[in-house]
Amino acid sequence: MSMSTALVVQNLTKSYGPVKAVDGLSFKVEKGEIFGLLGHNGAGKSTSIECILGVKRYDAGSVTVLGLSPAENRRQLFEKVGVQFQHNNYPEKITVSELCEVTGSLYRQPADWKELLKRFGLLGMHKRMVTELSGGERQRLSVILALIPNPELVFLDELTTGLDSKARRDVWKYLESLKGNGLTILLTSHYMDEVQTLCDRICILRKGQVVFMGTLTEAIQNSPCSNLEEAYLWYSGEEETTDEVL
Amino acid sequence: MKSFRALFKSEFILSVRDMNLLFFGIGFSLLFTVVLGLIMGNKPAFDGAAYSFMEQSFGGIISIGIAATGLMGLPIVLADYRHRKILKRYQVTPVSPMKLLVVQLVVNLIYALASLVLVYGVCALCFGVRIRGSVWLFAGAYLLVLVSIYSIGMMIASIAPNIKTANLLCSLFYFPMLLLSGATLPYEIMPGFMQKAMDFLPLTQGIKLLKAASLGLPADNMLVPVIVMLALTVVCVVLSLKFFRWE
Repeated sequence: MSMSTALVVQNLTKSYGPVKAVDGLSFKVEKGEIFGLLGHNGAGKSTSIECILGVKRYDAGSVTVLGLSPAENRRQLFEKVGVQFQHNNYPEKITVSELCEVTGSLYRQPADWKELLKRFGLLGMHKRMVTELSGGERQRLSVILALIPNPELVFLDELTTGLDSKARRDVWKYLESLKGNGLTILLTSHYMDEVQTLCDRICILRKGQVVFMGTLTEAIQNSPCSNLEEAYLWYSGEEETTDEVL
Repeated sequence: MKSFRALFKSEFILSVRDMNLLFFGIGFSLLFTVVLGLIMGNKPAFDGAAYSFMEQSFGGIISIGIAATGLMGLPIVLADYRHRKILKRYQVTPVSPMKLLVVQLVVNLIYALASLVLVYGVCALCFGVRIRGSVWLFAGAYLLVLVSIYSIGMMIASIAPNIKTANLLCSLFYFPMLLLSGATLPYEIMPGFMQKAMDFLPLTQGIKLLKAASLGLPADNMLVPVIVMLALTVVCVVLSLKFFRWE
């Protein structure tokens, strides 16, 4: 692995019983790159991320994150890696500021969480119970928590689900500025406008297998479609079902 | 150390807001002390006893706080955190599982100690209870009971596959020990066959130690309970670390 590579996944395979959730997934993410892992629900995105992070055991393959093995060098690695899971739970009756403070305390050089709250429009909420936040506010908080480590690499699983247009744009803008400072991002998303804005390269999964990998331009060029949305549906095999619904 | 302090502060505040430990860890043992004291007053433990019934009960009552925090508070919070995938979130941070366990342990310990101090205060001020034996011996016995009961709680937290099993195991350990170890119902008034059965509960042995220390009774035959409790602690701690799971 060269010094400029943030993440290497080789032949990752994970089955749930007879179902192959991830089937021979291989890809690399270069440092400073925003990489999108796409596919419809159940295509294997979250399972892949959880295997990569060492949270789930995988059946075969290898994963190297920032030159380290997530399973063996857990504590060293997560000093530099931020994670936002798709579903997040927090202790009941914890306030926003308490949650941020505790999260910050786990890292040697955490980001200023007040600054992050301000950036994401949550500063006025810091005394609220996390359970009292709206869906969009909780979503923004989960992104903030992933950025508190001051990470070199951040995993964002469905980062803007439930956010309104303004909030989504704010999140994009901030992530792009972090990218400018060298942050590497691996994200999943169902929104092609988001992918179009943020991603340098994408990987589209279908039933756990890679059906496309490359840049956005390549994604469109290698398909019979004229835009990313259509190309994505064409690759991920949702076009027909969408037509049926319509 | 920074993370330990922050985690402890946060978990302690959460426990205060939650109130469970306040009720079951402190409130219950205090209430039990007052009721028992009002019924028994300064009566001697038995005709011609050198110590009062309350003095005899003291060693048992203070173990309620240990059992409630160690067998209910500690494992249920950890099992709940695992169940709701809060531990999974910690798994992708640099924190060590040991630190999370110890933080919960210390939070619960504070409630157990508060219960000890308050129960002793009420017993001493209202019912004339004194520690007749060596205070150091008493402290040692208390510590031994504490670590062995907490180690059982940590083991439950680690091995229980889900929150339901954790709740079940906690009840299965807690209620028999609460009722049948001499913590609430006095061991001394039980018929012989009951006492033999009760002797199998680790807390019964611990309470015997506490009573011997607080009453200043000769500590003969105490070596076996001490060894049993130490062995239990080692086994439970090893199991709980070996089987710790984030998810």
